[in-house]
Amino acid sequence: MALTDSDNPASFFFKGETGRNTRGLLRLIILCTIAAAAVASRLFSVIRFESIIHEFDPWFNFRATKYLVQHGFYAFWDWFDDRTWHPLGRVTGGTLYPGLMVTSGSIYHLLRFLAMPIDIRNICVLLAPAFSGLTAFATYLFTSEMSESPSAGLLAAVFMGIAPGYISRSVAGSYDNEAIAIFLLVYTFYLWIKAVKVGSIMWGALTALFYGYMVSAWGGYVFITNLLPLHAFVLICMGRYSPRLYVSYTTWYALGTLASMQIPFVGFLPIRSSDHMAALGVFGLIQLVAFTEFVRYQLPTKQFQTLLRASVFLVFGGAFAGLVLLTLSGTIAPWSGRFYSLWDTGYAKIHIPIIASVSEHQPTAWPAFFFDLNMLIWLFPAGVYMCFRSLKDEQVFIVIYAVLASYFAGVMVRLMLTLTPVVCVAAAMALSQILDTFLVASSPEDNSTDTSSSKANGAPSTANGSANANAIKDKLAAAFSPDTLRSTKSPVVGIYSYLSKSLIAGAITAYLLLFVLHCTWVTSNAYSSPSVVLASKLPDGSQHIIDDYREAYYWLRQNTAPTAKVMAWWDYGYQIGGMADRPTLVDNNTWNNTHIATVGKAMSSREEVSYPIMRQHEVDYVLVVFGGLLGYSGDDINKFLWMVRIAEGIWPDEIKERDFFTSRGEYRVDDEATPTMRNSLMYKMSYYNYNALFPAGQATDRVRGSKLPAAGPELSTVEEAFTSENWIIRIYKVKDLDNLGRNHQEAGAFEKGNKRKKAGKRRGPRVLRVE
Amino acid sequence: MRLLPCALLGLTSLASAAADANLTHDASRNTLPPSTFTPPPHFRNVNLVRNINLEKSYPRETLNVVIENIAAQPQDAYYLAFEPGTLGQIGGLEAKDKKEPERTGFTAEAVEDSSSYYRITFPAPLPPNEQLTLSITYSTLAALTPLPAQINQNDKQYLHHAFSAYAPSAYATAKQKTKLKLPTTDVPDATTLPASLNAEGKEDPQKQGTSYTYGPYGEQAAGALQPASVRYEFTKPLTHSRLLERDIEVSHWGGNLATEERHWLTNRGATLKTPFSRVTYQQSAYYNPPSSALKELRFPLAVGSADAYFIDDIGNVSTSRFRSNLREANLEAKPRYPVFGGWSYSFKVGWNGDLGNYLRRVKGGAGESYVLKVPFLEGPKQAEGIEYERVVTRVVLPEGATNVHYETTIPLVSATTGLHRTFLDTRGRTTLTLTAVNVVDDWREERAALVVTYNLPVGARFRKPLALCAGALALFAVSWVVGNVDVRIGRASKGLVGGRKAA
Repeated sequence: MALTDSDNPASFFFKGETGRNTRGLLRLIILCTIAAAAVASRLFSVIRFESIIHEFDPWFNFRATKYLVQHGFYAFWDWFDDRTWHPLGRVTGGTLYPGLMVTSGSIYHLLRFLAMPIDIRNICVLLAPAFSGLTAFATYLFTSEMSESPSAGLLAAVFMGIAPGYISRSVAGSYDNEAIAIFLLVYTFYLWIKAVKVGSIMWGALTALFYGYMVSAWGGYVFITNLLPLHAFVLICMGRYSPRLYVSYTTWYALGTLASMQIPFVGFLPIRSSDHMAALGVFGLIQLVAFTEFVRYQLPTKQFQTLLRASVFLVFGGAFAGLVLLTLSGTIAPWSGRFYSLWDTGYAKIHIPIIASVSEHQPTAWPAFFFDLNMLIWLFPAGVYMCFRSLKDEQVFIVIYAVLASYFAGVMVRLMLTLTPVVCVAAAMALSQILDTFLVASSPEDNSTDTSSSKANGAPSTANGSANANAIKDKLAAAFSPDTLRSTKSPVVGIYSYLSKSLIAGAITAYLLLFVLHCTWVTSNAYSSPSVVLASKLPDGSQHIIDDYREAYYWLRQNTAPTAKVMAWWDYGYQIGGMADRPTLVDNNTWNNTHIATVGKAMSSREEVSYPIMRQHEVDYVLVVFGGLLGYSGDDINKFLWMVRIAEGIWPDEIKERDFFTSRGEYRVDDEATPTMRNSLMYKMSYYNYNALFPAGQATDRVRGSKLPAAGPELSTVEEAFTSENWIIRIYKVKDLDNLGRNHQEAGAFEKGNKRKKAGKRRGPRVLRVE
Repeated sequence: MRLLPCALLGLTSLASAAADANLTHDASRNTLPPSTFTPPPHFRNVNLVRNINLEKSYPRETLNVVIENIAAQPQDAYYLAFEPGTLGQIGGLEAKDKKEPERTGFTAEAVEDSSSYYRITFPAPLPPNEQLTLSITYSTLAALTPLPAQINQNDKQYLHHAFSAYAPSAYATAKQKTKLKLPTTDVPDATTLPASLNAEGKEDPQKQGTSYTYGPYGEQAAGALQPASVRYEFTKPLTHSRLLERDIEVSHWGGNLATEERHWLTNRGATLKTPFSRVTYQQSAYYNPPSSALKELRFPLAVGSADAYFIDDIGNVSTSRFRSNLREANLEAKPRYPVFGGWSYSFKVGWNGDLGNYLRRVKGGAGESYVLKVPFLEGPKQAEGIEYERVVTRVVLPEGATNVHYETTIPLVSATTGLHRTFLDTRGRTTLTLTAVNVVDDWREERAALVVTYNLPVGARFRKPLALCAGALALFAVSWVVGNVDVRIGRASKGLVGGRKAA
C-alpha cells in the first residue's frame, strides 16, 4: 500500500479518484477470490465422492424441496405428510422453517426460466457453498463497519470463508438450515449495525426484512431476537440512548416481529413465548426512555428527577408483574426444554433423553475450539480487547456478541457455528491492527505516505463522527492536527526496525499459512464425509466405497410396496423417507417422544411384546444398522441404550435400563449378555444368522470386539428380507399372522419338527354341545 | 386340434395391439380391413418350417414358408396369424424373400381391428400360381414363464414355454415342421404328441442334442393349432425392460455426441421362495454358479467413448467400472443389489462420444446440411438377452435445425418432432422423438441404425452467443439504472451519503 514514488507511472492508479477506483476494483477482485476459495474448500466431498446430500436432516430438507418444486408453494405450505410418523402423520408445512426450501426452489425456478435445467439435487448440494461465498462478503461488510482498517474486512472475509467452525455445517451436500442461516445472521447483524450508526428507517427496515428471512430459515433466529435487544439495552444502560437507536430498534422490532409471525411454525410465539420477551421488554423500555428524553427537554431538572423515579418504578414493577402473571396463567409459554439445556448442561440428560442422545447437543470439549478455529481462538480475545479501546456503539455489539456466543458455544457443540462469525471478525480486527502496524515498509516519520494511503483507502466514515478513532488514527491525528485534545496527543510511536517488522510479518505469514493448512486439513478429513457413503482404503491404496446404506434404501425403494411402513430408529427416518421413499414410524423431527419411545420399546422388548406393537403400527419392514462385520461403530447396538432409556421414560415398569447391563454393570453382547439383552428384538435382528459367516463358535463382533455366543439368535415373528453387502443395513419383514392361528413361536417350532409342548396345557373337561 | 373362430378373435383386442396398429408410415395404404377381420384365403402354405430359438431370455422365431397364390388375381398381401393374445408381445417382425435376401420393399404391420394378424406386403404383387419363399423373423416378449414360479436362491430355474406344434396360419398348410432350439439338455418336460399326428409316423418330439423337432405334419386347415409346451432349464435372469428412454444430444460447438439411457428393468425370473439371504449369497459367490439374479450389465460402447456414468435415483452407483482404450470402451455396471426374480432396478447410464464419428456434412446440399448416423438402440449386451417393452429414442439436434428427416430399419410406432429448451436456449432445440415397442437387444447398434438428416443455417449457430451478450448488457443497464435511483427521504446529509457508499 505504501507506494511513495510519484514518478512511478503506476502511481496514477493508486492516487486520487483513480486510486480509489483501483482499490475498489482490487477489493472486489479479492472478495471474489475469497468467495471462490470459500466455495472451493467446501467441494471436497463432491470431488471425492459425488454430488450427494449428506447425513440425516439434509435428506428431509431435500425431500421437502422436491415436494415444493413438484407441487408448488401453496401445496407445500399446507403439506400434511402422511408418509412420516405413521400413523400420526406430520403437519410438515406448519412445522418447518421454509426458508431453505423456498430459497433453493426459487433458484431452481429462476434457472428454469433462464433455460438452465439444473437438477434440484445439484442446487441443494451446492447451496451451502454458494451461500458461504455470500457469508464471506457479508462478513467483510460487517467488519468494515467495525474497524477503519481496510484490511480487517478482507481478513474477516477470508477467515469466515475457510474457518472449519463454519465449514462443518456448510460443505457441499450439507443441505441444512444453517447453510443459509449463517449468511442471514451475519448480514442481519451488518444491517443492524448500519441502522444503529445511520439511524435510518431504511436500514432498520432492511434489518427487519433479513431478520424475517432468517426466521423463515432457522430456529437459531432466537439468537438475533435476543442479541439485538440486549445490544440496545446495554447501549441505553451506558447512557448512549440516541434517536438513531430509537428509530432503528423500533423499526426492526415492529417490522421484524410482523415478518417473523408470517411463518406458520413461529406463529404467535413472538408475543407468547419467554424466548421472545426480552425483545418486547426492550421495545417497551425504549419507548419509556424516549418519552423520558422528551419530557426532560420540557421540564426543569428537579421535577423531572422525581417524575422519572416514580414512573420508572411504576412501569417496571407493573410490567414485571404482568409478565409473571401471564407466564403463570399460561398465556406466555415458559422456556422450552432445549433452552433450559443451554443453562444447565445436565438438564437434558435427566429430563429429555432424546435431546441428550444427539451428539451435537453435547457440551463442547476444549480441543474443539482449537480444532474448529485454530489461531483465531487466540486472536479472538485480542480483537475483543481492541473493541474496548474504541468502544463505539458497534464495538459494544461485538463485545456482547462475543460474550454470549462464547458461552453458548461452550454449552453445545452445535452452537460453535454462531461463535465462528464473531471470532472471525474479532480476530481479523486484531490481526489487521498488527499488519497495519508492522507491514508498513517506511518508517513512521514518513507521515505523508501513511496518511495518503489511509485517506485514499476510503475507510467508511461513520455517522456518529470519528470521536473515538483507533490507534493508528490517534497517532496520525496527533501528528497532524494540533488542535485536538491533549490526551489524544501522543508522541509518534511506531516500529522503526526492519528486523522486528520482518520478524513479525514473517511470523504472522507463517501463522496464516498454517491456518490455511489446518483449515484445509480439517475440512478434508473431518467435515467432508457424506456419512451416507463410507470410504475405505483397499490394500493397494485405492479408494473403496462402502455404499451399504444406499444399496438397502434403493432395494426398499424398488422392491417393496410404495406404502410399506418401515420401522427403524429415528436417526434413519429422514434417510428412509428421502432415499427409500417409504413411510416411516419415526424420524429426526422427534416431535412426538411417545412415538419414539414406542419404537424404542419394540426394539428393546422380547418378540412376543414387540410383535403386537408392530402389528398395531402396521409395520411391514424393520430396518436395523449393524456394524459388527465391518467394525462400523455408529450402529444400532451402540445406540441401543438410548432406545432403552427413551422407552424407559414412558414405560418404566416394562423396560429397565438396568436389565441390559450385566451384574458387574457391563454392557455386553457376548455369552455373558443379560437375558433381557439377548432376547431383545434389536439384539436378535442384529446378530441373526451372523454366525453362519464364521466357522462354528468363531463369530466375532468387530465393533464391540467380543466373541458372540455359539448359537445365534432365533427369530420367529420377523424374517430376514434383505441384508446389504457389508451387513451394515439389515431389513426384516414382519410376518403376517399365522394361517392356522398359532403364534409364531409354535409355528416355527412345528416347521422345525419339534414336538409341541403339551405340559401345562390342560384342557378343561370335554363339554357336550347343549343347545 | 381346435378351430378358433375368427369372430372371437376380433373381440379380444389388446390395447397394445392397437398401439402396434398405429403404423402410418405407409401412406399408400389407406384401405383398412373390416373390424371382424378374416384374411381372404388367397394363399396356400406349401411348406413351412418354424424355428423357435429359446437360447435367450425371449423366444425368437423364424418362419420359412413357401407360399403359393391360389387366387385368380395377383396378390400383394400375406397375412400372418398369431395365437390369440400374443400379438401385443410380438416385436421386431421382419419379412424378406429367402431366395433373394437383398430384395427390399417388404413391409409388415399389425392389422387394425384384429388381434391376431400381421399383414406382410410384397414389393410387387405375386401372380396367380406363383410361389414365393418368405423368411419371417420376430420375437415374442414376456412369453416365457418360470415354472416353478418360486425357487430358492441357489436353485436352478426352469422356464415354461407354450406354443403350438402347428404354426398358426391364416391359410391351409400342406407340410410343416416346428423346431425348438433349447439352451441346455436339461429338459424335464416336453409335450409328447402321438405318432399318429406325424406325417412320418414318428413320435414327437424328436430330440437331437438341444434341438427338439415336432413334425413334419401333413395337410392342416387354416387356423389349426396343436398346443404343446416345453420346460427347460434356464438359470439366467429374464431381464425385462419396462421402458428405455434414450437421449442423443448433438452439439456442434462442442463436437460432442452425448448419449443418456434411462432404464427401468425387472427380472421376470422365478421369485425367491424364502427371502433373500446374504449368507447364502456370499457363500455362493466363491464358486459363482449360474444364477437367476441379474448381477452385472455390460455396455460395450463405441470406441472412443468417454465420461461414462452410471447413476440411479439416489446418486452414483459406485460399483461400476469404465474401461476405455483404443480398441474398445466398456462400461461394466453392477446394480446396487443382485436383481432376483420379481425385483426391479432402474438407473441411468450416459457417455460422450466424438461427434466426428457420427456426423457428416453433406457436400453439395442446399445450405449447411448434415447427416447423423447413430444407433437406435444400444443398452447393455447380455449373453441371455434383454427385451424392451418400449423404447423411446430422442435425438436432440442443435437449436435452429430444420428440415429433419430420418430413416431406420426398426419398426416404429410413433415419430414426432418438437422443441426442447435447455442450456440457455432461446427458442429450443429441434428434437426428434421415435418410439418403438417390443424390441429385443438383437437390434443393438448396427442392425438398427438411425440416420437423421437436417439443415443447420449458419445464423442459428450464433443465436446463443448473441442472446447471451444481449442478456448481459441488459442486466448491466438495469443495474446501472437501479443503482442511480435516489430513494432517500428528505435532503441527504453528508453522513448518509458516506454510509450509502460504504454499503
